[in-house]
Order: sequence, then C-alpha cells, then structure tokens
Amino acid sequence: MVRRFTRRSLLSLAGMAAAAPIFEVKPLRGIDFILQNSPTAKKFLIETMPGGVALFDYNNDGLLDILLVNGGHITESLHVPENFDRGNPRYWNRLYRQNRDGSFSDVTQAAGLASAGNGNYGMGVAVGDYDNDGYSDLYVTSYGKNILYHNNGDGTFTDVTAKAGVAGGGWSVSAGFFDYNNDGLLDLFVTRYMEWDADHNKICGGDWHTYCPPSVFPTTTCLLYRNRGDGTFEDVSARAGFTIKKGRALGVAFADYDGDGFTDIFVSNDGMQQYLFHNNGDGTFNECALESGAALTSDGKGLSGMGTVFQDYDNDGRPDVIVTVLPRELYGLYHNDGPGAFTYQSLETGLGALTSGSSGWGVGLEDFDNDGWKDLFVAQSHVLDNVQQIDASLRYKELPLLALNHNAHFERADSGVTTPVAARGAAFGDINNDGFMDVVLTTLGGPPMLLLNRGSAGHWLSITLRGTRSNRDGYGARVRVNGQTRFATSAGSYVSANDKRLHFGLGAAEKAVVEILWPSGIKQSLNEVRADQFLEVREPEHP
Amino acid sequence: MIGLFLLAWLAGQSTSPDAMRNMQAGLEARKQHQVETEISEFRKATELDPALADAFVNLGAAYMEKGDYGAAITPLKRALEISSDLLVAHQFLGYALLAQGYAAEAIPHLQRVAALDALGVAQIETGQLNEAVGSFNAALSKRPNDPDLQYYLGHASGLLSKNSIDTLLAMHPDSARAHQALAENYFVLRQMPQAEKEYLEALRLRPDLPGLHLELGQVYANSTQWPKAETEFRAEAKLRPGSAEAAYRLGTALLQQGKSHDALPELKRANELKPEMPETLYSLGKAASLNGDGSTAEQSWLKVVELEKDTSLAAQSHFGLAGLYRKQGKTAQAQHEMQEFQRLQSTIGPPRSE
Repeated sequence: MVRRFTRRSLLSLAGMAAAAPIFEVKPLRGIDFILQNSPTAKKFLIETMPGGVALFDYNNDGLLDILLVNGGHITESLHVPENFDRGNPRYWNRLYRQNRDGSFSDVTQAAGLASAGNGNYGMGVAVGDYDNDGYSDLYVTSYGKNILYHNNGDGTFTDVTAKAGVAGGGWSVSAGFFDYNNDGLLDLFVTRYMEWDADHNKICGGDWHTYCPPSVFPTTTCLLYRNRGDGTFEDVSARAGFTIKKGRALGVAFADYDGDGFTDIFVSNDGMQQYLFHNNGDGTFNECALESGAALTSDGKGLSGMGTVFQDYDNDGRPDVIVTVLPRELYGLYHNDGPGAFTYQSLETGLGALTSGSSGWGVGLEDFDNDGWKDLFVAQSHVLDNVQQIDASLRYKELPLLALNHNAHFERADSGVTTPVAARGAAFGDINNDGFMDVVLTTLGGPPMLLLNRGSAGHWLSITLRGTRSNRDGYGARVRVNGQTRFATSAGSYVSANDKRLHFGLGAAEKAVVEILWPSGIKQSLNEVRADQFLEVREPEHP
Repeated sequence: MIGLFLLAWLAGQSTSPDAMRNMQAGLEARKQHQVETEISEFRKATELDPALADAFVNLGAAYMEKGDYGAAITPLKRALEISSDLLVAHQFLGYALLAQGYAAEAIPHLQRVAALDALGVAQIETGQLNEAVGSFNAALSKRPNDPDLQYYLGHASGLLSKNSIDTLLAMHPDSARAHQALAENYFVLRQMPQAEKEYLEALRLRPDLPGLHLELGQVYANSTQWPKAETEFRAEAKLRPGSAEAAYRLGTALLQQGKSHDALPELKRANELKPEMPETLYSLGKAASLNGDGSTAEQSWLKVVELEKDTSLAAQSHFGLAGLYRKQGKTAQAQHEMQEFQRLQSTIGPPRSE
C-alpha cells in the first residue's frame, strides 16, 4: 500500500502540523446562492432560523451535489396568509450539480425545483431514497407546507407532496428519513418548532428590539409519517405517541441507542428538556429522556437545543448525543453508558470549556483528520442579530468550532475560517472524493461556505450501503470498522442532510475489518478490506 | 365620622354659624367627591371666620385632593399661624411643599409628624443622603414589605454611594480605588471590556488590594473566559487564603473547565472556611460526583436539600442525587429524588441556565 502524502502530512512530518488548519475555505465555483432570510425591524422569528443544505448525489455520477434551501421575502407588513414571494428566482431553493472539474452548475429549473410555493418560508432538507429506486429523493421543510420531491432518475424531480400526504403544516424545521419499523421502507420524521404565525409575532428585549425567546410561544408536536410503500405516507404521529409530547423541536438525529434493533430518535428542543424517543418496536415510541439522563444538564437545567448529532464519539460502540445550544450554556454531550442510560459529560470531555460563550447550530461528528476518532464541527452564530449591543461579550457572527477528538477529549483546532459568519446549516461529506471529510455551511444573508479538507496522513474508508432486504440506503445500519462505529443516516446537524456515505478514518491502518448490522437484522463481515477506497457493500439477500 | 366629631367640636367653640354651615357643606361635598364644591365651601368658611384654623386645613386638603399642591400651601400655612400644633396641617403642608419642590421647607413639617417616607424623599432632594437612608430604614422597620420604601432606600443608598465615589474620583482620580469604582460601575452596566481595563489598571497600581482579583475574575466569568477567571480567582485565593468566596469561585471556574479534580479541594476548602453555604455545597457535590466520590457528593447534596427546601438549588441537588443513586443501582432512591426534582420543577419552575 502506498502511503498517501498530502500537504498536511508533509507538514506533519516537518513538525509544523499545528500551523496548518485542517480546512481551507474555498470558493464554491458556479454557486451564486445567497440565503435570503430577509431580516426586518419587526423581528419575525422565522428570519433567524434558516436554512438547510444537503450534500447528495442526485444523478448518481459519483459526485456530491448541493441543495440549498432558501428563506423567502419578508416585509414588515407581513400578515396571515403570508406571501414570501418564492416564485421570484431570488428566493428559490437551488440545486447545484457538481461537475468533473469541481465547479457547480445551477440545475434548479431543469430539475423542477424552482418555486417552492409563495406561502412557504424555507427551512431545511432531508435526503433519502424513499421508494428504493436507487435515486435520492428530497424533502424540503418550511414554515408553511413541506414538499416531497421524487427523484425521477433523469435529472428531474417531481413534487409528489399531495399524493404522498406529507405536507405537514405549521413551522417545520429539521427532518430525516429513517426506517422505524424495519420494513425496508424509509419513513419520515419532521420536527416542528412552535405555534407561530406572522399575526402572532412578538418583539422582545424592550428597547433593544430582539427576537423573542421560544417560551413566549406555545409548544407544538413533531410528525412521523409511515411509508406505505406505494408512494404514499400515513401520518402516524398520534398512534406512535408523538402528539402527547409537545415541545419546541429544532433538530433531529437517529440511532439505535440501546441495541434492540430499532432506530430511536433524539430531538433537540429549544429552551426546555430534550426528548429521546425510544422505539418500542411495535410502531410506538416512548419519550424517556429524563429517566435516561439525556434530557437536562447535570444541574437539572434545560437546554436551548438547536442542532444535534447521534453518533459514537468515544468508540465504545454506543451512539452518544451532542446538542448545540446558546451561550451561557454548554453544548450538551450525553454519553451513552448503556444499557439505555446517558450521562451528561460536557465538562469531562472538554466540550464545556470550548463552548460556553458560543451559539451552535449545524453540528457533525466526523473524523476530519482520519485518526480514528470522530471530531466535532459546529456552525456557530448567535440567534439575535443585535446581541452584541445587549451583551458586549457575545457576538452575532462567530467562527465555526472545530474540536479535534483526542481519545474522547475535545480540543479546539483552527478551522481555517478567519471571518466570523452567521452560520446556520452544516452538511458533511467528501465533496472532492479525496477521502477526507469536507463541510458546507449556510450563512444568513450570505453565500454558502465550503471548507475543503486539506487532507492528512491518515488512511480512510468510505462505505456506501446498498440495502436489499433493508431500505436501499441502509439507513439505520450499525457499521463497525476497526473498532469505530457509525450509525447510517444522512440526518443530524441542523436543517441539513449529510453525505450518506459512511466515512471512517483509519489512522495508520492499511486494512480494515468491516462489520455491518443491517436494519433487517442481517449481520455481515468483511475482512482485509483495503484502505483508501470507496466501497459499496450490498446487503446479502439471505442471513 | 371625623367630620361629625369635628363639627360637634366646632359647635362648642365661638365659631360663626354661617362658617359652620359652610364647613358642613364642604364635608358633605367631600363625601360626594365634589372637590370644587368642597373648595368653595371651605373657602367661604375661611372668609367668614379667618381664625378658623380647621377651615384652612380643610381648604388645603381639598386643594391637595384636586392635585393643586401650590394652592394648598397658603391655607395650610395660615392654619399653622393660627394653631402651630395642628399636626395634620404640618403633614399636609409637608407633602404640599415637597410636591412643589420646596423640599428643604417641607422637612421640618415632615419631621414634626414623623412622616418618614416623605421625609426621606425630601432629604434625598436636599442632598441629605445619610439622613434619607436613616429615614427609609426607620420606615422599613415599620413596613418591611413596602416596595416603595424598598425602592427609595435602594435609590438613596445608590446616590450616597455615587456621591462617595464621585468624591473619590474627584480627589484621587488616579488611585486604584478610583479605577476599581469605575470598573464596578462598568460591570453593573455589563460593559465588560471597560470593566476589565479599569480592574487591570487598579491591579497595576495596587496588586495586593483585596477583592480586585475576585472582581476581575467575575468579569471574566461573566463573559465565560474561564481560564482567565481561574487565574484571577487563584490570585485572590493566594492573597486571601481565608476567603471562602475566593476558594468557591476558584472551584467553580475549575469545574467549568472540566477540571473537577482540581476543583474538589478548593470547594472543600471553601466549605471548611464557611460551612453550610448551599452554593458551595452544591458545587462540592458536583465536583465530587465528577471525581467518582459518590459519598461526598451524596453528603453535600443531602445537606443542600436540608438547608434549602423549595429553591432551584434544592431542585438541582435532588436531580444530582437522582443521577447518583441511579448509577449506584439504588433505583427506589433515584426515583424518589427524581420525583422531588419534578415536584420542585412544577412549583418553582425549571432551573434556568445561567
């Protein structure tokens, strides 16, 4: 095996690694998108909440493409029924196809994704192949109605929301595809923030005129749609137990935390306790965050939960939870102690010291330096655009947080970003297929930002799951590679969808042992797998 | 009732019957809240009997009821010329003069009737801040739950403090204490960079001044700069090894950085220096728990819930105990503590993030 020498590895050899940030901020050539959140003096709360980004390969050419969710046009005279002028190209969501030279082409109109409906102010995006046809479909969330776009496989999408019955309503934020009943069909979970509309907006902060805290508005419920397999979905929110747990949900992430073979749901709530929905395996869920230890801080305090990720940071094989929050709190890290118990460990892991003055949104646990430990990346910015006037120690625009994982302890590293931004969404994936995880951020009122990984000496393995009995994307599979575990999902972060390929940093290892537990229950092992490759693993038809 | 008594008393005096009638009419008008009629009748009574002090008092009172304090002053003064012992006239005149901005003139009248609340306000107006603080304290001893009095005491104390600081700044503008005073002011205004600058200057001038490191540490803690806060708290603890607060602050700064091993001895020391402080005990429990010292954590949190029944600190301690017992496999005790936590949450509200 030939050792890969990148610029970073050469610097490392020269003892200069500390001088070179892991990422390089690169222009997204061909992308002229501006996230139009349309801030007004009326401080409509939706203005500060978009927008999502998805990294996915819509045309199966092996290159990640980018979907960016736009907000919409808001005027101070906004009233119900709201009109966000989404027919205006300025406010379209945009799909950019990646070209072979790393540039992007705007294919929004050709793909049929142009207008998202004037009554819909865009929020987030979920990606999954809900009909198992081999092409990734899109679900775009909004304040207003959500849209399910079926990928036709010919470069176009069709709005099938009405037929599918997944429009939702109210204020949807993050969403994700997952297979809660292990029937091989991806179902859909949608977080909703609160009961709000333009006529019931409020301004807070006295003379400061700020966006109101969530406690000012009534709580609401999340949505679960069961995939019937015929192109339609059934709203099973009530039957599954979600309508009895109202909250202020922003983020969602999936993993089987107790190893019972059914995918569970973690929901980050704003300004209250967090929710952990245990999948009972019979079509119902039981919210158990408080008794599991994943609801509050160690001081019994709620969190301003925004983004969340549900992956194993300490390589003990069990998925842990990280929740991004506002300053004066610490980003919540809930260590999965097993069986079914979590411990708040923000302080012990070093995360507390890194985050007490920051506001986090999109979040990912990815092995950026390929050393075998998942690192933490957080898109940061305060929710209030005038926070600095109110508290001089806080900033609206912030640098993202990159915290490298050293044996389950996080330490700040240079992200390579030098200009603070109002970041919101964050999606993680290997944009240039070099074996190193990259990041795309969205910024309020600004363009998306690409953080291209410079690479390191560490080996890697990227796995694409090809479900047969399980859902085709393999979402919900538990994949172990050389002692590391990933739970297959494109959900997590905040309003965003990640590259569905499973990335593993292998450090110095040139071979890997791959163990997969498919949602179908089938176990599969691959030995002596060569490092530094993109590997597609097809689920065996029979156990 | 008072009106009837007054009339009966007046009837026994050498008051003209016409003046008596006007007095009676004025009192009737007062009952009907007809203030203009009241004024008219009492004025006629004063005209008919210029020596009738009560008519002047009532006329003044009627003007005050109308909100015309300026007009009330003359009849009230006349009443006191006739009868200087009329306490009610002193009281009304004191209020009227104060309302019209004649605070100095109001003071002797208010002192005469021990109207401590108004007296305190008049003393503030005349710059007698020490005396004002005394008056409000005396008033509060009689009405301890009066929010107006609490406000005015705070106001007077604040002004007194400001006066002292102004004097300090004028006389010793380059002193450490002057910079400390400025820093404290900036801290209250949440202008942390300015507060930091002034504290650093104070420390440059008087590095051994007790309290400076502690306060600067608070500035850093407030802006979540925990390593800097730790440095300052450590310096204060070194300067004042007997300070429980310095040890406590140092312990919490260490805890915030995840240095629970280092935090534990500091919090133990704080607890030894000043036992039974719930905040110290709670943090001590937390540090002990993080260090795997379940026994100290349990003892500390149990002490908190013994000292504090229905506070958020008690709720947090119940929550901590629930987690501790759960880890120890003491399911029943864990459930009990969680129930206590939830009970307190429902009564006092969930603990808030700082």
